Amino acid sequence: MAFWKRQTRVEPLIDAYFEQCDTCFELLSSAMDEYFQNGLGEAFSAYVGQIHATESKADDQRREIEHLLYGKALLPESRGDILGLLETYDRLPNIAETIVFVIHNQQLMVPEPFRQAYHDLMTVNLETYQLVRKAVTVLMTNPKATLHTTKEVDQAESKSDQMERKLISDLFQSEQELGMKILLKELILLFGEVSDRAERVADRVSLIAIKRQI
Amino acid sequence: MWQAISGVFLGWSLGSNDAANVFGTAVASRMVRYWTAVILCSVFVILGAMLEGQEGIATYNKMSSVGPNLAFVVGLAAAISVTLMSYLKLPVSTSQAVVGALVLAGFMNDTLDTSSLTKVVLCWVGTPIGAAIISIVLYYAVGKLLNALHLTLFQYDRWLRIALIVAGSYAAYALGANNVANVTGAFVGPEMLTPLEGCALGSGAIALGVMTYSRNVMMTVGKDLVRLDAYTAFIAIMGEAITVHIYAMVGVPVSTSQAIIGSILGIGLLKGVRTINQKTLVKIVFGWLGTPAIAAGVAYILYNFMDVFWSI
Repeated sequence: MAFWKRQTRVEPLIDAYFEQCDTCFELLSSAMDEYFQNGLGEAFSAYVGQIHATESKADDQRREIEHLLYGKALLPESRGDILGLLETYDRLPNIAETIVFVIHNQQLMVPEPFRQAYHDLMTVNLETYQLVRKAVTVLMTNPKATLHTTKEVDQAESKSDQMERKLISDLFQSEQELGMKILLKELILLFGEVSDRAERVADRVSLIAIKRQI
Repeated sequence: MWQAISGVFLGWSLGSNDAANVFGTAVASRMVRYWTAVILCSVFVILGAMLEGQEGIATYNKMSSVGPNLAFVVGLAAAISVTLMSYLKLPVSTSQAVVGALVLAGFMNDTLDTSSLTKVVLCWVGTPIGAAIISIVLYYAVGKLLNALHLTLFQYDRWLRIALIVAGSYAAYALGANNVANVTGAFVGPEMLTPLEGCALGSGAIALGVMTYSRNVMMTVGKDLVRLDAYTAFIAIMGEAITVHIYAMVGVPVSTSQAIIGSILGIGLLKGVRTINQKTLVKIVFGWLGTPAIAAGVAYILYNFMDVFWSI
């Protein structure tokens, strides 16, 4: 039956899509380590290219999954849930790409006194990604056990929010030029956007899990 | 045995109305495709009637012994009433239509057996209540089992899809086993159809109704009364199937419409009364009350009309 074939094809594709997003964030992590240690250089530019390519491939995979799902793989309620999840999740690799593009295109360098704080903020946001990825894995393997993992995402997002507020406050109390302050503030908000988007994914994961509770 | 044509018409109208009760929830919520449902329903209705339908026919013959001409009037009156209700997209009970017409015929012929009528009416009340109770029990029991299985999202999806098809097929089997007596039971007897012929003719007619005119009522049952997710749709159909199959095994023809509405309402009560579309519920209850009355009215007209040509 065509339905079973489509369902058999869509499952590994969904796994592959999430793995592609993981690769995107692994590259972001390496790119940011390079950026904070050695600044803007050829190595960072290479990472920008790799992240862009990975994000594009993830987009292609998502479109293929959507095509299969619109072709009626899975039950309608699961189909709607998976489509919604992918749509929300897809904003994560997008923001990873935006972060490196902004730094690369604007040749933005974080001043030394703030570098560690920016690094810490990025680390928390990368951890939030790991947590939301874990929540999605748990959703796929054991939907009833997801609520604990989504709570962890909420907590990490709150931590990121606090760090963002403190960093913006410190930045605007510093002696930096106003233009630079505004650019650096934008970067803080972009870093924080990772955990904001992760939280939206976690909300969707919770909703899908709750719908399956009997 | 030309009079059995009204039985075929009644079977067709039953199929067009009652297919909704076995696959309506799954089809209306787009979990099973319409044509998959229609084919499965037709096959299992015939299987149910051929394997377990004769018990109901035997009971039917004990309850009423009408001649072929009167059986024709009763069948035709019931068929017209059910077709009218299908046109109005209302799931109704074919048993009620038959009994409504039969009571009128018995009244006109002075052969009305009120003790049998009391039993039948008790079954009308017992069917939805029984189905509601079975559904509530199933909802918790199957839920516990599923929770213990720790299925993945995709396994759960696959399981539900199979469960919906199995439950629908089982309900179609129960429908055939139970309701074929309503369709051709009156035409089975000496110098009429044999029980096996009655089952074959009746189930064929039901299958034809399923294939040609069942979509409208399916949508009313599945969409308008309570919004059902895949799991509750499965429980509703299973609750109905078990109820109707129990009645089939003891040989009492009952209404799958009443069983499925009872099932859905049971789940609706479990999930909160607000989930039930009360306007649709009132329409369905009106259909239940109206069907025997309309069938009796049609039977009255037909009886008087045909009495001019044949002695009934």
